[in-house]
Amino acid sequence: MSGTKRRLSPRDPTPARAPVRFGDDPVLWASWLYYQEGMTQGEIAEEMGASRPTVNAYLADARARGIVNISISTDHMRSVTLARALEDQFGLESCLVVPSQGGARTLIEKVGNAAAGLLPQMVHSGDTVAITWGRTMLAMAQAARLEGLRDVTVVQATGGTTAKIPYSPESCATRLADNIGARRVPISAPAIVSSAQARDMLVQEAVIAEQLQYLSRLDRVVFGVSSLRPNSTIHSSGFFDNALQQHDFYVAAVGSLAGQFIDAQGTPVTGPLSDRFIGLALDDLRRVPTRILVAAGVDKIQPILAALRGGYVTTLVIDSDAADGILRALDVRLSRYAAAGRDTEGSTDDATTPPSARTFVKKFLNDPRDVVNEAMEGALAAYPGHIRQIDDTVRAIGAQAPRPTGKVGVVIGGGAGHEPSFLGFVGQGLADAVAIGNVFASPPPDRILTCTRFADQGAGVVYIYGNYTGDVMNFDMAAELAGAEGISVASVRTTDDVASSGFEDRDARRGTAGNVFVFKVAGAASARMDPLPEVERLARKANAACHTIGVALEPCSMPETRRPSFVLGEQELEFGVGVHGEPGVTRQPHRAADRIVDEVCDQLFAATALGPGQRVAVLVNSLGGTPMIELLLLNRRVQQRLAACGATAHLTLVGHYCTSLDMVGASITLMQLDEELAALLDAPCDGFAWIKP
Amino acid sequence: MDRIDTSFITDFFFLASVRLEENRQTLCRLDGEIGDGDHGTSMANGFAAIEKVIRAQPDAAPADMLRQAAHAFLAEVGATVGPLYASAFLEMATLFDGEQPLSLSEIGQVLSAFARGIAKRGKAQPGDKTMLDVWLPAAQAAERAARAEQPLTRLASLTRGAANAARDETAAMMSTRGRAARLQERSIGHLDPGAVSAALIVDAICATLEERAG
Repeated sequence: MSGTKRRLSPRDPTPARAPVRFGDDPVLWASWLYYQEGMTQGEIAEEMGASRPTVNAYLADARARGIVNISISTDHMRSVTLARALEDQFGLESCLVVPSQGGARTLIEKVGNAAAGLLPQMVHSGDTVAITWGRTMLAMAQAARLEGLRDVTVVQATGGTTAKIPYSPESCATRLADNIGARRVPISAPAIVSSAQARDMLVQEAVIAEQLQYLSRLDRVVFGVSSLRPNSTIHSSGFFDNALQQHDFYVAAVGSLAGQFIDAQGTPVTGPLSDRFIGLALDDLRRVPTRILVAAGVDKIQPILAALRGGYVTTLVIDSDAADGILRALDVRLSRYAAAGRDTEGSTDDATTPPSARTFVKKFLNDPRDVVNEAMEGALAAYPGHIRQIDDTVRAIGAQAPRPTGKVGVVIGGGAGHEPSFLGFVGQGLADAVAIGNVFASPPPDRILTCTRFADQGAGVVYIYGNYTGDVMNFDMAAELAGAEGISVASVRTTDDVASSGFEDRDARRGTAGNVFVFKVAGAASARMDPLPEVERLARKANAACHTIGVALEPCSMPETRRPSFVLGEQELEFGVGVHGEPGVTRQPHRAADRIVDEVCDQLFAATALGPGQRVAVLVNSLGGTPMIELLLLNRRVQQRLAACGATAHLTLVGHYCTSLDMVGASITLMQLDEELAALLDAPCDGFAWIKP
Repeated sequence: MDRIDTSFITDFFFLASVRLEENRQTLCRLDGEIGDGDHGTSMANGFAAIEKVIRAQPDAAPADMLRQAAHAFLAEVGATVGPLYASAFLEMATLFDGEQPLSLSEIGQVLSAFARGIAKRGKAQPGDKTMLDVWLPAAQAAERAARAEQPLTRLASLTRGAANAARDETAAMMSTRGRAARLQERSIGHLDPGAVSAALIVDAICATLEERAG
C-alpha cells in the first residue's frame, strides 16, 4: 500500500478505502471499476477519492503487474489476420472481416450490421451515395444510423424490380436514406426493360435522365454481389428471369454485381440483357471514389473474388469463412499475416501441406495395376463353394447357389477396395452376382449386364449399390441395356451414411457399411421367392432403416500411389468419413474411444429417433486397418448406450464388412427393426463374409 | 491435312494418352485431397485402353474410331469418368456421321460436342466444380476464335488459355457433385482433378492442331 501511496498527488482529497473484497488494493479496485463496471477514469477518480492521473497510474500499474491481461479472442484475432491478408492481396483501402460463427444473429445480419458500423467513417456531409439491392444491403440499411450530416443524397444504383421481394432496390435505398437522414433519389424505371428501344426511350425521359445524372457524380457506392448458384436469391427474386433462361450467353458468368454479370476475372459478360439495363454501369461503378462491397457466405466466394479481381472494390466487408475461402482459393499462406509468434490459422496451412512429405506406405503388391484381378483370383480360389467366375473376366462373379426359375435376381457391385464387400455377400440368401470395378471406381455397364443376365431367372433383377455419381451412371446404363433385352430391373441406391448429407436430404447421402444389411434383406426376400416389386420395397425399407457414421484415425492409401489419401495430425481424427479414403465432414481432436462412440451414438440415435423398447441391428465395422480388439471395445460402448436408451440389439455384427483399403478407423451402423425386417435378417444365408445357418 | 480426320483423331488420342500417363500421380494426389484418389488411374488407364483399340484398327473412319474409343474407355474405367468421357466421344462421333468432314478451324464443334456429351450424362451445372467447368469455356473460346477468323495457332492458344484459366478457377468453387460434394466448403482452395485432366486433354487437342497449322 505504501508503494502506491507515494504516487498520490499532493492535491488528492482523502482517499476512500477500497471495499474489503479488493484486499485493500486500490490498483485492483480501479481495474475492477474500469474494466468490469465500465466506468470512466473520471468517475473512478470520484468514486475512489483520488485524482484522474492517479487512476491512470493505477491502471497502467495493473497492466504492468499482470492484474489485467488483455487478450483478443481467437475468432477476432483470426478476423484481423484475414482482413490484413485480403487488403494486401487486392490492394484494398480497408477490409473488415466478421467472425462467421457465434452470436444469435444470422450471417447476413452480422455482416450487414458491421457494414453499417463503417458508414460514419465513409459517408460525409454533401456526399452522394448509391446502394444496390439484396438481403445484405437491406440488413445494412436497416442497421445504419448517422446523425448530424447535411446534404447527403442516397440514390438507387439500379432501376426497380418486382415489389414481391422485401429487399428491392427501392426499399434498400429508402431505408438507408431514412436512417441516415438523407434525401432519396429513386430511379423511376425498371432495372431490366423489355427491349433496347424501350431502354433508349426511357433514359431520355427528362425525369429519368435527371435521376440517372446522380449516378454519374457518386462519391460512394455500397453494393452486394449475387451468386448464380442454383440456390441463390437471384433465381427467386424475379430480377433476372429472362437472363437465366438464356443461360448460354452467361455460361462464363460467376456472379452479378449491380444487376450486371461478371466472369471470374471481373470482366462484364455481355448478353441479351446488356442493352436493356437501366442503372449504374460497371465502368461507372469503377470510377466511384469509395466502393464498398458487403457480402456474406461461402456460396458467394466466386463472385466476391471476381469483383475483387475486376477492381470494383476499395472497401470489403465479409464474413470469416468466405474470407478464408478466398484466400485458400488463391493459396495464400495466412501465417505471413498473423502476428509474430502466433499461429492463428494453423489448420489452413496444414490442409495445403502436400502428402508427399510422407514416405510410401508398404503394401503386399506385384504390379499395382493388377491388384484387383489378382485379389479376385485369390478370392475365387479361396471360396469355390460360394462364388464363381461368370465369363472370361474375374470382375463379374456369380453365386454357386442354385437360382431357381422365377426367383428375383439380386445384383450388387461397386469399386474394389472394400473387401470383403461386395463379393463376400454373394451366395444363398444374399446376392446372386457382383460386378467389380477398379479400386474405388464403379464397374462399367457391360460387366453389370453380364451379372444381370446371370442373375435373371425370368422374374427380373434388383440392383443394390451405393449412391455415388459413378455407380449411378454405370448401373443406369446397364439397366437401359438390360431393359432392351427384356429384363426388368429395379435399382435401389443405398444411402445410409448420415454424415454425408443432412437428415432432411436422404437422397444426397452415400451408401457405406449399411449396404450389408440391405443385401441381406433383399437376398432373404428373393430366396423366399418374393416378386420383384416386393424385393425392391423391402430393400428400400431396409435402406431407409440403416444409419451409419464412420470415423478415421489414419487415411488409407491407394495401391497405385501408396501415399496417404489425406493428411491427419497426430492428435486428430476425421469424423464422418465414407468408405473411399475421402476426408470426412469435420476434423476433431482424438480422444477416448467411449467419447468418440458417444458422439457417433448421439447422432445415430437422433437420426433413428431411437427410444425405449426398440430393436436394432448393429454393425461395428473396421475400415480396414483397425483390429478386432478395438472393434470389440467400441461395441462395448455401443451396447452400453443402447441399454441406457432402453433399446435392444437384436443382432450384432463386429468385424471387417465394408472396408476402405488400409484406413484405420471404424464405422457404426444402426438399423431400426420391425417384425418384417427382423425376420429377413434372421433367415439363413451363406456368403463367405456372412454365414448364418 | 486441313481436316479433322482419322489421322488427327489418332494423333490426339496418342498425345492425350501420353499426357495423362505423365500426370497419373499428380491427378491421383489432387483427387486424394477432395475425392477418393483414383482419378489419375482412371484417366491414364482409360486412354491407354483407347490407344490399344486404335493401334488394332488404325484405319477406322472417324465416327467408328470414336465409338470404339468410347466403348474401350467405358469398359476399362467404369467409375464416374467412364460414362462421362464415353458420352463425350459418342457425341463427337455424331459430328462425323454427316457427309461433310470438319475443317481444322471447326475444332470448337468438337470441344462443344465433348461438353454436350458430358453435360447430358453427368447433369452438372457450370460452377459445380467439375470437368464441365473446363470443357464449356474451352469450347466457347474455340468457337469465338473461329467466328473471329483467327489463324489456327491463335485459335489453339486462346483455347488452351481459356481451359487453363478455367481449370485454375475451380479452386474457388465449392463441390456440389461427386464424392467431393461431402466436403462442401472444405473443397474450396483445391483444384478439381476432373478439371485438371480436362485441361490436359484440351491441351492435347490444341497441340495436335498447332502441329498441323505448321
